[in-house]
Amino acid sequence: MKKINLLILPLLFVSSFATELEIGSKIPLANVKMEDISGKDISLNDVMGDNGLLVVFSCNTCPFVDAWEDRYIKVSNEYQEKGVGMVAINSNEGTRNSGDNLKDMKNRAKKAKYDFFYTLDKGSKLASAFGATKTPHIFLFNKKGELVYRGAIDDNSKANRVETNYLMDAIDAMIAGKKVGMTSTKAIGCTIKFTSN
Amino acid sequence: MKLQKVIIFSIAILFSISCSNGTLDFREATAKDILSAVEEYKGEKAVLVNYWATWCVPCIEEFPMIVELSKQFSDETKVFFVSADFLEHKDKAKEYLKRQGVQGISFIKNEKDNDFINGIHKNWSGALPFTIVYDKNTGSVVDLWEAKKPKSRFLAAINKALNEGVKL
Repeated sequence: MKKINLLILPLLFVSSFATELEIGSKIPLANVKMEDISGKDISLNDVMGDNGLLVVFSCNTCPFVDAWEDRYIKVSNEYQEKGVGMVAINSNEGTRNSGDNLKDMKNRAKKAKYDFFYTLDKGSKLASAFGATKTPHIFLFNKKGELVYRGAIDDNSKANRVETNYLMDAIDAMIAGKKVGMTSTKAIGCTIKFTSN
Repeated sequence: MKLQKVIIFSIAILFSISCSNGTLDFREATAKDILSAVEEYKGEKAVLVNYWATWCVPCIEEFPMIVELSKQFSDETKVFFVSADFLEHKDKAKEYLKRQGVQGISFIKNEKDNDFINGIHKNWSGALPFTIVYDKNTGSVVDLWEAKKPKSRFLAAINKALNEGVKL
């Protein structure tokens, strides 16, 4: 074998995985204010609706957000009026100068017709507290502020090919006071660009 | 029928391994297919699998370095690239692999995300890039990480995989 530089040997194998918020956990950093595209400072407690809170870690620079953005609008239209508050959070501190600053976010929201909050997570604090790793990455809380679902929106990037609506099924169950079936799912996504990346 | 498919896939992999790796062989694959390909090298080589996509900027930034490593350590380490591009972009991914000089077997995901990601490793959230390294002798996972990492991290993981390090 070719020699590998021995200087690298003492490197510790530190796990590169954030711990995703456990089902049943309370909303982390619920009172921390974030700047919204409206110019107001809002917290997750401010967004909480009578029936729950939907948090979507998102950004302006990810093709998977592009692919699922139509579902953001659909979920917002259908469930905000049913008392589920919704906020998209941009935690991409590493790309604030290349597409993910507040001005970019305002443009994105206007173009895609967001009718929900879209906030800037300074220092990626909320992403770290949630264990969010990618965009889109969903966290759904019931009216008691307990996590009932996390993960993907559904199982297909094309809306007309979706077989299982993970998120909408979870919201329906939550509003009906029933137990959510699938509480955790996964989908491919773009890494959140923490400054340390 | 399923068993037949597994056998055919395994034979195809063995055939490809025995042949020259001079050309690119780009295949659609499930998590099970990829783990089978990794398993083929148990006892022979350490294996590094990098999950990437053409649209993923950090993936593209680290990609040439991984290709370089795959050539530098080809005697004892096998590197597989697995594209997570949408299948309709398969040609685009193939062209990129060719431009980077990737030879031999590479894969593109053809399975629902949730099943695919959980099938590869329980600790993978689905974020790209994702890299996982398997021990040469035992075939067990010795290191894995999400996001772009420096060459030193890759070298350390390869070294660990070749020297029976601590298993995760």
